Amino acid sequence: MSEQKKKVVVIGAGPGGYAAAFRCADLGCEVTLIDERETLGGVCLNEGCIPSKTLLHIAEFIQEYKTSYEFGFTTISSNDKLLLDKTRDYKNNIINTLTSGLGNIASRRKVKHVKGYAELISDTSVNVNDVTIDFDYAIIAVGSSPISLPNSPIDERIWTSTEALELREIPKSITIIGGGIIGLEMATIYAALGSSINIIELSKDLLPDFDNKSASIVKKSLIEKGCKFYFNTKVLEIESLPNNLTIHCESDTSFTIDSDIVLSSIGRKSNAGKIGLENTLITLEKGDIIPVDEQCRTNVSNIFAIGDVTGMPMLAHRATHQGKIVAEVISGLNHKFLNGMIPKVAYTDPEIANVGLSESQNHLGIKIKDTSFPWMASGRNLASNGGNGLTTLHYCPDSLRILGGTIVGKNASELLGEISIAICMGATLKDMALVMHAHPTISETIAFAAEKSLGTLTDL
Amino acid sequence: MNNEKFLLGTPTAYQFCDDNGIAIEMVAKALSKSFLSVEDVQVFLNTKSSGKYESIKNQVSKYWDIDHAAFGEIRIESVDNFSKITAENLTAAVQVIPSVTHGDNFSIQKINDFRQQIKEELKLQNRNLTLLPFIIKAMAKSLKQFPKINASLSPDGEKLIYKNYIHIGVAMQTDFGLVVPVIRNVDKKNLLEIIDDLQNLTTLARSKKLKQEHLGGASITVTSLGKMAGLRFTPIINPPELAILGVSKTLIEPVWNGQEFLPEMKVPLDLSYDHRVINGVLASHFMADIGNRIANPELILV
Repeated sequence: MSEQKKKVVVIGAGPGGYAAAFRCADLGCEVTLIDERETLGGVCLNEGCIPSKTLLHIAEFIQEYKTSYEFGFTTISSNDKLLLDKTRDYKNNIINTLTSGLGNIASRRKVKHVKGYAELISDTSVNVNDVTIDFDYAIIAVGSSPISLPNSPIDERIWTSTEALELREIPKSITIIGGGIIGLEMATIYAALGSSINIIELSKDLLPDFDNKSASIVKKSLIEKGCKFYFNTKVLEIESLPNNLTIHCESDTSFTIDSDIVLSSIGRKSNAGKIGLENTLITLEKGDIIPVDEQCRTNVSNIFAIGDVTGMPMLAHRATHQGKIVAEVISGLNHKFLNGMIPKVAYTDPEIANVGLSESQNHLGIKIKDTSFPWMASGRNLASNGGNGLTTLHYCPDSLRILGGTIVGKNASELLGEISIAICMGATLKDMALVMHAHPTISETIAFAAEKSLGTLTDL
Repeated sequence: MNNEKFLLGTPTAYQFCDDNGIAIEMVAKALSKSFLSVEDVQVFLNTKSSGKYESIKNQVSKYWDIDHAAFGEIRIESVDNFSKITAENLTAAVQVIPSVTHGDNFSIQKINDFRQQIKEELKLQNRNLTLLPFIIKAMAKSLKQFPKINASLSPDGEKLIYKNYIHIGVAMQTDFGLVVPVIRNVDKKNLLEIIDDLQNLTTLARSKKLKQEHLGGASITVTSLGKMAGLRFTPIINPPELAILGVSKTLIEPVWNGQEFLPEMKVPLDLSYDHRVINGVLASHFMADIGNRIANPELILV
């Protein structure tokens, strides 16, 4: 008995959209993947995660290179400089490798990639390039774009992260408005490239999603790299002058900052408003967020939404997991998206990464205690010139179960996975301490933090 | 820590619950665990589908894992589904319920005399009057006096649920296995109505036409061997009921009346009961009450 293949249209080919499309195809659906870009991968691959990590790697190398005289290099000179064209090519090559790889994966799965601007025209059809495509199911994965600064002039010297990652030039001075994760990553890149950095932040401190002790390590490091922070500060106006931009600020007093470039990173907003949702029965929340249930289904039962259009946290890995769940739901499985354990990372120098619950993320009123191990006491960290760092486990004092973890330090993002597994497998502090970690490694600091709280630590 | 708010199992355990359409919170509660593995969820599903039967069966199945053919010629026949369901129910009862059986013989001399008197009349009405309807009616009357026996335990054993109705299950052997249809509201029915219900249910059972409405919800069950061999037996309680009454074939006993032994017709009754709820004194009183009504059927009829 042959069954008609389910027709699925995925709008948006970012990490959520392509994962959903590929998984749908694997589960036997006929899939059309629509995106405005020539290449797959969305913001993440083309102008977000991947290019920023490429430049952050270069920034890290520069920092390391600058200190290499400490271990005997004599060839370092203040005249060393980057050939920006070459740097840009290097970055673009990496993007091309990944996006063309995605293209191959798509065609191997017979996912039809349509380049164009998609507009839903009903609950069962979408218009793209003046062609109507009917679908049984649609998955909205159109992501987000930077929020533009209010009251700002039109000026090429006002960037968002997109322009910053194009690596147009290395400005003498950059003023970053918005000290969130994106702003701080851009600060890390351009500080290493030699720009002087001002960061203006409306709230009283940076990285509010991470615990204070860990976040302050990042702050201290950025200050050491020459970043100047202006907290509790509001931008009133940006004035375009021939030689620079003047930013009028208000804190306790009013003052101005002159800067070659202004980088706006005050947040991102959902692109849901741009795809003809008014032609469907889908209703939006908070202006442009598509509300979905635990299977990522909108209020129209055959239309799903994943990723940034479904609200915070706007993270690629969240979108990918949602995308896979949706594909499985469409194929008839009763899977649900588990919202709890979404890792959060700022790829600053040093990196800071968090998963699960911590004191500052404790919305549940659960009893939480912390135990930490400083990286300055880690042999491996000192041996590899790793700088300051801290591994913190957040745990339940009654059951000793690991509830969360925060790591700040070099490659913190890579170490976080161990804690994610620990939380999700129900591990306790004792489990973490009893699992043998190789020596010397930074991952030992996780076991050390556990041992410290259990009173079995011999490394401190 | 309030675990209900945090992760209750591994990612696979969560997905396995989703796949089976059950809430992980419910599974964690049922198993009294704060964190579940896939195996835990599987244990829950097994227990749910067949009492504790599956898991226990798996533990002890080695005792049946014997190569019988090594000892001589054998023949293998599949156990039919109906018998499997009965087996699960009985195994659960035996594994879970600490049961005790009380037995005694009670005079049915008066019932017998009465039956002889009205036998012909009932025959004209196309009715067959056996001992069983009297016993059923006596049980209903006694249950009213002993409400603690007309009850069931909650699944966790934490609560006793009293029933304000009296429904009596009657175990019946059919060609395809054992069934227990239920006579409803026995306390509100007269003897003739009970005779009719019994006849009706027997016909339905034998023609495999019993429906859901004829089954379940009993206060107690009665199982009668009729005239078949066996002086007495220890019936197995039909969960979630608290007791079952076994009836064996009538016999004639010599009874000393102060001067001489006289033959008296008696029925052996065996009451198996759930000792978690019913103690021996209560069971004995309940048994005596039924016996007294049978011996003095005017107590049944009024």
